[in-house]
Amino acid sequence: MATLVRARLGVLVRAQLRRDRWQLLAWAGGIGVLAVASASAVRAEFGDEEQRAALVAVAAANPAFLFLRGTPDGTGVGAVTFFQVFTFLAVLAGLMNVFLVVRHTRGDEDAGRAELVGATPTGRLLPLVATLVTAAVVGLLLAGLVTGGFLVAGLELAGALLSGVALALAGLVFAGVAAVCAQVLPTARAAAGAAGALVGLAYLVRGIGDALGPAGADPTRAEPAWPSWLSPIGWSQRVSPFGQQRPEVLVLHVVAVTLLFGTAVLLRRRRDLGDSVLADRPGPAAGGRLTGSVSGLAVRHQLPSLVGWCLGAATLGGLAGLLAPVVAEAVESNEALGQLIARLQPGVAGGTVEVFTAALLGMAGVLAAAAGVQTVLRLRTEESEGRAELLLAAPVAVRSWLAVQLALGFVVTALVALAAGSAAGVGLVVAGRGASWLGTGPAAALAHVPAALVVVAVAGLVFAVLPRLTVPLGWGAMVLALALGQLGELLRLPAWLQALSPFRHSSALPLEQLDRTATLVMVVVALAVAAASVLLVRLRDLTT
Amino acid sequence: MRAELIIDVSGLRKHFGRTAALDGLDLQVRPGEVHGFLGPNGAGKSTTLRILLGLIRASGGRATVLGRDPWADAVVVHRDLAYVPGDVGLWPNLSGGQIIDLLTRLRGGADPQLRRQLVEDFELDTTKLARQYSRGNRQKVVLVAAFSRPARLYLLDEPTSGLDPVMEAVFARHVERVRAEGSAVLLSSHILSEVERLCDRVTIIRAGRTVQTGTLAELRELTRTTFRVAAGGDGAAPVAAAVLGSLVGVTSLRTADGTLEFDVDPDRLPEVLAELARLRPSTVLAGPPSLEQLFLRHYGDGTEGEVR
Repeated sequence: MATLVRARLGVLVRAQLRRDRWQLLAWAGGIGVLAVASASAVRAEFGDEEQRAALVAVAAANPAFLFLRGTPDGTGVGAVTFFQVFTFLAVLAGLMNVFLVVRHTRGDEDAGRAELVGATPTGRLLPLVATLVTAAVVGLLLAGLVTGGFLVAGLELAGALLSGVALALAGLVFAGVAAVCAQVLPTARAAAGAAGALVGLAYLVRGIGDALGPAGADPTRAEPAWPSWLSPIGWSQRVSPFGQQRPEVLVLHVVAVTLLFGTAVLLRRRRDLGDSVLADRPGPAAGGRLTGSVSGLAVRHQLPSLVGWCLGAATLGGLAGLLAPVVAEAVESNEALGQLIARLQPGVAGGTVEVFTAALLGMAGVLAAAAGVQTVLRLRTEESEGRAELLLAAPVAVRSWLAVQLALGFVVTALVALAAGSAAGVGLVVAGRGASWLGTGPAAALAHVPAALVVVAVAGLVFAVLPRLTVPLGWGAMVLALALGQLGELLRLPAWLQALSPFRHSSALPLEQLDRTATLVMVVVALAVAAASVLLVRLRDLTT
Repeated sequence: MRAELIIDVSGLRKHFGRTAALDGLDLQVRPGEVHGFLGPNGAGKSTTLRILLGLIRASGGRATVLGRDPWADAVVVHRDLAYVPGDVGLWPNLSGGQIIDLLTRLRGGADPQLRRQLVEDFELDTTKLARQYSRGNRQKVVLVAAFSRPARLYLLDEPTSGLDPVMEAVFARHVERVRAEGSAVLLSSHILSEVERLCDRVTIIRAGRTVQTGTLAELRELTRTTFRVAAGGDGAAPVAAAVLGSLVGVTSLRTADGTLEFDVDPDRLPEVLAELARLRPSTVLAGPPSLEQLFLRHYGDGTEGEVR
């Protein structure tokens, strides 16, 4: 009997891995590449110990830096790499697992596939167990990739291995979180949204802990404060792979994974297929104002995620606003530190507040682009799931259908950027940096919108021309623009390649003047690409 | 004559890559008729409907809907048309009522009285979210949306495949209502009793090509009559079977419990009847083939189906 169950489990796990193979390879491979690239970049840019010590000293004295990256843990290449990149890797690993688990649990229930599997002699729990096994297998792969990547980059074995395991286990905790969310919430969208938000929260909570952490006697180390114990990412940081090496902290992960997986299985055992702990409420019997037109429908469907994006962007902007002065004070009170910052960022005119705000609002620009791309890509789901067929069988032109969604994508992009910029402005005003920030903050964020619009329009063009590839190419264009623009320097790409990214041509207000020509060109390009997509979409068949 | 056709399709072709989904399809739907559109799975019924809606473009041939090119004038055509897809995908987070109102408002708004009547007839709970609906209920949502605003043409792609018999009857009633109002209906269906009951004319397609079209009476004239005969007396059956089996025009002869069953070609009917009278049977049942029999002949293998 037991062998039979094992055999069925094996079939399910293999089927899941096969279904996701490209997606998982992209995620895990991307995380691995980012790890290798960061280690190489640290080695290339901060080759000798003294440079690294300077970098770490600046960072350790800078709560904003600690908030974003983590706490420094020594001056070796490994320690600096871990400090630079680990929290980002952990967020990525968490999101990968959230999507993986929700896809195979609540996602399959939504799509009716779970019913097919449930009708075979697998038992009620086996599909969930198989998903968790798949997540563990992927965790093993991820640990292997990161360990291998760090070894290739020349880091020591013990540190590389501990980093890989700490990352994979943090990811697995989020797999457990996602598994519980999938039991509690009625749809895959809601489950993935909630679990994804918890990943973000884990990042923020450890950020607060790290930022509040007291600097020790050693200027190259900082100990996180207690809030970081509340976050699985914080636990992984405390494993300290390239410092004190505390593998015993990993017990926390194991306990959390066991508890979460156990809770998910218990919840699943108690509920019906398709049922959820929080059930759907009935809706209105008649349509309201927003369900009478294509544009109303588009707005109605985008509203919840727009609110989510804006909240995320406002959090980022607000943090920038509130933290920038803290950074500035730290720097201003320390002349040596100020000189270091000036040396680290040559050719930048402006105070620390400006530098910090401009950098974070650049990230907000990317967030805005992602929100716009997500808006446009919704069209593809509508088409592949048969809803576009219903809509376009009514007197609705396919061109106006796309045009409405593109316009909405543009508006969403601008609103998300505006949310970040306004929050930053308000934060800076609250922090007593002067009322002028009330205008400068939003303006600085909006300066990134033209570049973001180009990316959004490209997603529309892909939808119009290559419908089946819309989702991979749409997000691919976004990631490429981000990689070339934000990481191009880090990865030492040639200038012409970096120049392909629209983000390279955004002006970093208030450090730089607004480049009117570049801005105008990008707006024109975005509009031209959007217009081309609207024209071209008429030439193709509806493609389910 | 041609000008007043609601749907006029001739020689329609559609390729997806190398596979030919439609390969010279003909279809004519007249005003005020319910037209059955039959064919085995994968014959090209849904592809035809999508071309008629201008959702995909024909690779060749000619198609007009309401006198217009469905691809070029899609929006204009859709003002006078209602559609029920075979595979109903709804917005999971909208209620049935919201979806009905959305789809009818896009066409200009529902007739409120009609909408109320349809919701009542189909016993639809319009407050449920679409993701909670069963397949039959999803179909009801789209049917209510299609029928709550009058249209000149209703394109229905297997609209009752998820409905129970009571709901099928409701559906039939509304089809008859819109026909009485002068609308045309193109009904793709696998439920033969429904087609037999509702349809004025029928087109049967196979592998992307029209194999037969006409009224059910016309189709039957072209096909064999089925006889069921009880031979008069013990031991008469084998003799009768031998005699009938030797006649030209008698096919599919089978015997069971002294009863003979066989089909007769229409042009040999007088000769067979004369021979049959000589055998002095005790009872004779003769009937046209059911649509099912017509159907199975076209579905079965290709050679027998080439009547026209």
